[in-house]
Amino acid sequence: MRSPGPLKQKILKKWMMGLQRCKKNMSILERKRAIKLSADVAMASLRNDAAYWSRVLIAKAVNEANNKKIVQKVFTIRTAACNKRIIRSKKILKRARRRRKRTAQASSITKGLVRKRRRILKSLIPGGEFMNGVTLIEETLDYIISLRAQFDVMESLARFSENQSQ
Amino acid sequence: MESNPGTTETRSNLTASDGGQVTAFESLQFTDEIHRLILAPTTINASSFTALVELPPPQAVELLHSPDSTKFIAAKPPNVEDFKGSFRFPSNTSLIEPDARFSVFSGEANNGNENRDSPVSKILNSNLEKAVKSEPAETESAQPLVSDPPVEKRRIKRKGRENKVKGSTKKSKTAVNESSEDAEKLPYVHVRARRGQATDSHSLAERARREKINARMKFLQELVPGCNKISGTALVLDEIINHVQSLQRQVEFLSMRLAAVNPRIDFNLDSVFTSESGSLMDSNFPGLVMPVMWPEVQGDGHRQQYQHQWNSDALQQPVWGREVHNNYITPEKSLLTYDSSANSVTLQANQLKMEL
Repeated sequence: MRSPGPLKQKILKKWMMGLQRCKKNMSILERKRAIKLSADVAMASLRNDAAYWSRVLIAKAVNEANNKKIVQKVFTIRTAACNKRIIRSKKILKRARRRRKRTAQASSITKGLVRKRRRILKSLIPGGEFMNGVTLIEETLDYIISLRAQFDVMESLARFSENQSQ
Repeated sequence: MESNPGTTETRSNLTASDGGQVTAFESLQFTDEIHRLILAPTTINASSFTALVELPPPQAVELLHSPDSTKFIAAKPPNVEDFKGSFRFPSNTSLIEPDARFSVFSGEANNGNENRDSPVSKILNSNLEKAVKSEPAETESAQPLVSDPPVEKRRIKRKGRENKVKGSTKKSKTAVNESSEDAEKLPYVHVRARRGQATDSHSLAERARREKINARMKFLQELVPGCNKISGTALVLDEIINHVQSLQRQVEFLSMRLAAVNPRIDFNLDSVFTSESGSLMDSNFPGLVMPVMWPEVQGDGHRQQYQHQWNSDALQQPVWGREVHNNYITPEKSLLTYDSSANSVTLQANQLKMEL
């Protein structure tokens, strides 16, 4: 069991590690990108690959060449494995996409609504397009919790630094 | 963990409840299914079930010839922890351990185990319907025991199950007739299907899958503030999507804020840790307390408090000003050992400083 205090400390620490590798004198947008990326990677790395979305997030981050320094500073990544998994999942998804036509009934209308929302949810969560229904919901849960933790850490840091600068 | 001391407790509780409430016939069915289900004790938690299993091995043989029998679905080793979570009818509170399905934070092989849930949950559903026969009296007497583990998500699941149980009292008799015919024809044990539903393996699998999804959705409903009152998957999903989107947007804004505050990216780590350790803990507790504690809550009576706190926290989020610390100190005392965790956080801060 992890108490939230040390967890957030870990997020903070990894985040700082990632940021230390950044070059100086970046523009504000670059900085924002670096901050966000580093925070995301820190959050994802703490999941220890227990959640699918974390691996996807990191794989995507690594794929952009600019980010390599930051990401590698945070921890070592199995990029090849992640990419392979993504490719495989895409193939499976394409195969699974063919479905029959359905008649217009009340139940099918609600199902259509739900399906539409599921699609939106899939687009939101990193790596969500490759998950089936059950996994999607579990990953959402996981992602929401991690996002909240990340948000809390960033918020407290922001508040603190604003206090300091005043 | 407490699987070993719980083992003997488990056995005695089961027999007690069996003798007192469930008819001997029903108890045989339950234990027989447990016996069949548990092929290989994979985890530590399985040990308490193997004890259960050993209870009535001779009676298991009798069941083969009984008119009511259950189908032995697939040779997949079941996820024992999930089994424990949903196997609630004998109201055996000692069986209930942290719901490992959602211990994603412990990062275990639960993701691998998930696909084994289906046979277990299928059989459990059928068990509940079977036991429906000796009925409403039982559910009533079961309920006081059942309300002992005040873990709310289990209560919700239980209520759902018991509603089904009560609702299908009439259906059980017809179901009995259906399955009794099947039993005589085939050498397997069969699942008792609910009335009006197909019994082929495809629809069973689909039903189990749907129930799994619905169970997960309930967790999501609890997690996302304000979803409890909404009924209907589409609207709940809407709320979830909104929540995720807002969280993502907030993270972006925060990173922008941070970038704007500091002309260069180096945060004064020492001062951050010393002064932030206190406030980090205060403001972050309500955020994480519920999600982190909740998968591992055991017989904890503070379930309602967690949720209430998170709801109030969500309301305050946009106005999350400087007074946050004061708001959250007092309620948290009841949730966690506040002082000890405060000390642990400051210790951690020092450790991190040294590491860096």
